[in-house]
Amino acid sequence: MTTAILVVESVVLVLLTLLVAGLLRSHAEILRRLHALGAGLDPDADSTPISLNRSVDLRASDPDSFAAAVDVVGAGLRDDAVHVSIVGTRHRTLLAFLSSGCLTCQGFWDAFADAPGLDLPDDIRLVVVTKNGDEESMSALRGLAPSGVPVVMSSAAWTDYRVPGSPYFVLIDGSEGRVRGEGTGAHWDQVKNLLRQAADDATDDTREVRIDRELLAHGIEPGDPSLYRTAEQISGQSRA
Amino acid sequence: MTKLAAHGLAVALPAGWEGRIQKRAVTGTTEQTHSVVHLANFPLPEQRDDFGGGVTPLMRSPDVFVVLFEYGPDSLGTPLFAAQGVPLVRPDMFGSKRLQRPLPGQLGCQQFFTANGRAFCLYVVAGSRAYLPRIVTGVNAVLADLDVGP
Repeated sequence: MTTAILVVESVVLVLLTLLVAGLLRSHAEILRRLHALGAGLDPDADSTPISLNRSVDLRASDPDSFAAAVDVVGAGLRDDAVHVSIVGTRHRTLLAFLSSGCLTCQGFWDAFADAPGLDLPDDIRLVVVTKNGDEESMSALRGLAPSGVPVVMSSAAWTDYRVPGSPYFVLIDGSEGRVRGEGTGAHWDQVKNLLRQAADDATDDTREVRIDRELLAHGIEPGDPSLYRTAEQISGQSRA
Repeated sequence: MTKLAAHGLAVALPAGWEGRIQKRAVTGTTEQTHSVVHLANFPLPEQRDDFGGGVTPLMRSPDVFVVLFEYGPDSLGTPLFAAQGVPLVRPDMFGSKRLQRPLPGQLGCQQFFTANGRAFCLYVVAGSRAYLPRIVTGVNAVLADLDVGP
């Protein structure tokens, strides 16, 4: 009798051990995935943007890979139809692809509630794009939607701009009618920094074009030997 | 060109134009609301009154703001709404005294009409007289593509 009880207890103990091990493993997997989504519990963890399968840089490092810019047409949150002009405008548009359910998006919804606090350049208009109503929680969206920022439900826009997941940001130059950069981030400050870098890159492009024009105006064409002189040669010439 | 459509109204917008077709939320048990269309060749702010409050102060000289405001069935058959079909606009229809909210330099135009058994007011605000010919051409191109369903 005692032997039988011992055998049963041993079996129960083994089963419980397996159960606890399985639970610990499952817990570790959940923590790992949360960390990958930028919602990890480690306060010292590096808060770099979420790495998706596309560039995480809003700078126009590879403009040919961007989707063609199109206007955003969809539904609003109050039984309305919305057409937001993107192409052929005088301003730039920052499309924020968000959803009501994504954990990282919550910080952006909160930040967008204070539109002046976003510190966006005057020529950038922020527009939030979610998926269609059948893929979103309408009541949650109504609670999250900031009063001063257009919110459009348009799964078509997610397809048009080849959005891999939320949150995702696309910057479009309306006058040129093309995407200038795209990417993601875990916090609004990261997105703002990337916007600043995109602006710096554009300035660099303008400067390069201006220098090329000035050199050409003075008869200095690509390959001109004067372009390849060393600092020593230039200083030697100026001394002579 | 993608068509913006809701509440039995549809319109195709040219490049640089945007729009909303909406119905105000009912606030009382006996209240009935009808369609309001806002179209513009500049970014529409989210906080807008039906006839352009919150919008027209933001307009620049080349800008135009178009409102299509639907009235209830009791307006049908009244002399004010006798004109049939979506109207087009002409420069001589515009004046500073036809604005709901007068602002320096701006001109307004109002036309009442019935289309497909529905009564509407077309209200257009032009940013300036200097751009009026171009604005009228743009507005008429949009109105020509406006479909009013029953």
